[in-house]
Amino acid sequence: MAALFATKKAFTAPPTVRTLASGVPSAPLINLAARDLHGAEHHGHGAAGPRSDTPAKFSGGLSNTPNGVVSKRYANAPTTGVFQQRYMHTSVPARDAPKVPNFGAYEAKDPSTNRALSYFMIGSLGVLSASAAKSTVTEFLATMSASADVLALAKVEVELASIPEGKNVIIKWRGKPVFIRHRTQDEISEAKSTDWKGLRDPESDESRTKKPEWLVMLGVCTHLGCVPIGEAGDYGGWFCPCHGSHYDISGRIRKGPAPLNLEVPQYDFTEGDSKLIVG
Amino acid sequence: MAGFANLFYNTFVRRNSVYVTAIFGSAFAFGVGFDTAVTSVWDKWNQGKQWKDIRDKYIQDEE
Repeated sequence: MAALFATKKAFTAPPTVRTLASGVPSAPLINLAARDLHGAEHHGHGAAGPRSDTPAKFSGGLSNTPNGVVSKRYANAPTTGVFQQRYMHTSVPARDAPKVPNFGAYEAKDPSTNRALSYFMIGSLGVLSASAAKSTVTEFLATMSASADVLALAKVEVELASIPEGKNVIIKWRGKPVFIRHRTQDEISEAKSTDWKGLRDPESDESRTKKPEWLVMLGVCTHLGCVPIGEAGDYGGWFCPCHGSHYDISGRIRKGPAPLNLEVPQYDFTEGDSKLIVG
Repeated sequence: MAGFANLFYNTFVRRNSVYVTAIFGSAFAFGVGFDTAVTSVWDKWNQGKQWKDIRDKYIQDEE
């Protein structure tokens, strides 16, 4: 073992490597001149010589004797006869806090850009959430409305070419009669020239018809729900036989107990105005 | 870039009322634009198959 150790110049071993027969721990060949611990700036090599953090010789210390390592401590340092040279301290002070890397390269050059980006992302998420919420609500409400097949059944198509000028046609729409009149030019001018502002339910002829020659109305008297008779009454329009309400050629109430004009349903002209769709 | 970011921040974000209003306004515009885009994609994908594309073939004879 000794021959193996002799090939090494310096060897740092644990203080106790074996126990003598007497029970005394023995650490032969221990190197008491271990170098100082230094940082990476010297690639792990400290300055030569004894460690700077070992106690000074005058206060005692370790010595390697044939009997093993002996440690001495003097309670009182000698007051005279000891001369120490003081050198300037050049060792690197130990850092008690871990070294923090420099994150400067990763920091934002301009904090306002980051702020605007953050708010932009927040706002974008708000926009998406608002659209999602809106479409959720509208789609849910759409499930409550009538489906397309029900709506299609609730419509009535009328071929307009089969109705000559100056004639009434009564069709059934959602269980109610609907009057369609192909009005003549005289009737149109009469309906338009009426002073409608003084009527009981003032409505202009333009607001009651989409095309002046076609008058489409619900054939239900607004008084108590009878069906008026066409081309009758004092005003050349409709006359309700139940209680004597007179409607003019635009379906407006002119005389009698009815409070309102004949109702105009939703209708539309399609296929090049050759067809009328009520509903 | 910083100027644009500050312009955005000062215009929309500084007052919360403006911010929320802008969000709801953008949501409305986004919804309309999204619907339009999806409809146009749908029409392009199904070109020639929909009734409005082939209506001419069938309605011409009647008129």
